Amino acid sequence: MTHSGNVNAPDEELAMHYAREFYGRRQESNRLWVVPRDAIAELDDPDLLKPPFDRSFKKPGGYIIKHKLEAAKARAGSEAQAGASKETA
Amino acid sequence: MALTEPIPPLTLDTPTREALAELLLSLADDEFVIGFWDSEWTGIAPMLEEDVATSSIAQDEIGHARALYELLADVTHDDADQIAFGRAAGDYRHAALLNHARGDWAFTVARRFLYEHADAVRLEALAHSSHEPLAGLATKMRREESYHLMHWDLWMRRLADGSGEARPRLEAALARCLPEAGTVFTPLVGEDRLLNAGILTDSLETLRSRWLERVTPLLAELGLGAPNADAPHPEGRTRRTEDFTWLHSEFTMVARSEEGALW
Repeated sequence: MTHSGNVNAPDEELAMHYAREFYGRRQESNRLWVVPRDAIAELDDPDLLKPPFDRSFKKPGGYIIKHKLEAAKARAGSEAQAGASKETA
Repeated sequence: MALTEPIPPLTLDTPTREALAELLLSLADDEFVIGFWDSEWTGIAPMLEEDVATSSIAQDEIGHARALYELLADVTHDDADQIAFGRAAGDYRHAALLNHARGDWAFTVARRFLYEHADAVRLEALAHSSHEPLAGLATKMRREESYHLMHWDLWMRRLADGSGEARPRLEAALARCLPEAGTVFTPLVGEDRLLNAGILTDSLETLRSRWLERVTPLLAELGLGAPNADAPHPEGRTRRTEDFTWLHSEFTMVARSEEGALW
């Protein structure tokens, strides 16, 4: 059992939904325990935690900024160079 | 001798294939449009936790739309992205219930509640479709939609029992949504062919009755009005609004910015 974090919810029912979204929507959980004060509630329905759909679009990993940064740096570098050669001309 | 015979592809005559395409398009557009409307809550939902939940549910619907557009693309030998993003606003076939902007929170909850129950009834039937890819997808979608149904039922109860503005706002939202809610079951042009082929197991009118039987007692229990029992307007899936024209310009913006780009 790993402590995942906290949610604010007016009651146990919404706390459960929010816990599922915060700690399960990316299929990172097999089971969640939501503990308000004296009660322990359990969510173990695999349909709620491991839905059958491809969820890759929920992850930011598909967006590769590295190449864009490199291109921008190269562009900035060549512009600076062009500017410098103009000054010396 | 081969141990197993190759399964022949479902052979459909052209009119039936066209009717199937019309059905898939209506399903996909419903999920696509409701998903985009509800994504408009991202960042401004009533509370942080609900913001994440609503946005995630909206993404789920876009995921369903994607799978449905791909199924449609297989039938029409078209491209799923092109179907999703390449059409004019007037060519979308979502139910008129989904023509309106997200409104206030009560409007989103009321519309979602009515739509989720309609979608549940529809998917239950489609899970038995003779078009196996559709039956399989409907079965898969139901596993995810069950949570959506729980979530919006929960919010209906909360707003109905809520203090202050909650209930009057919910009542106003239902008054707007109820007359159009049945448009999810607008009869399709080629529906008879779908019924004959077993692609649809029940007519949309039968499904609408089933939906009414389900939501009427739920609404009565909360002391809210009964849904409009009139048959949906024949233009229930073709009439478009300025709200939708705006949404269409939003969700096609990136696709239009560079046509033919690879995603």
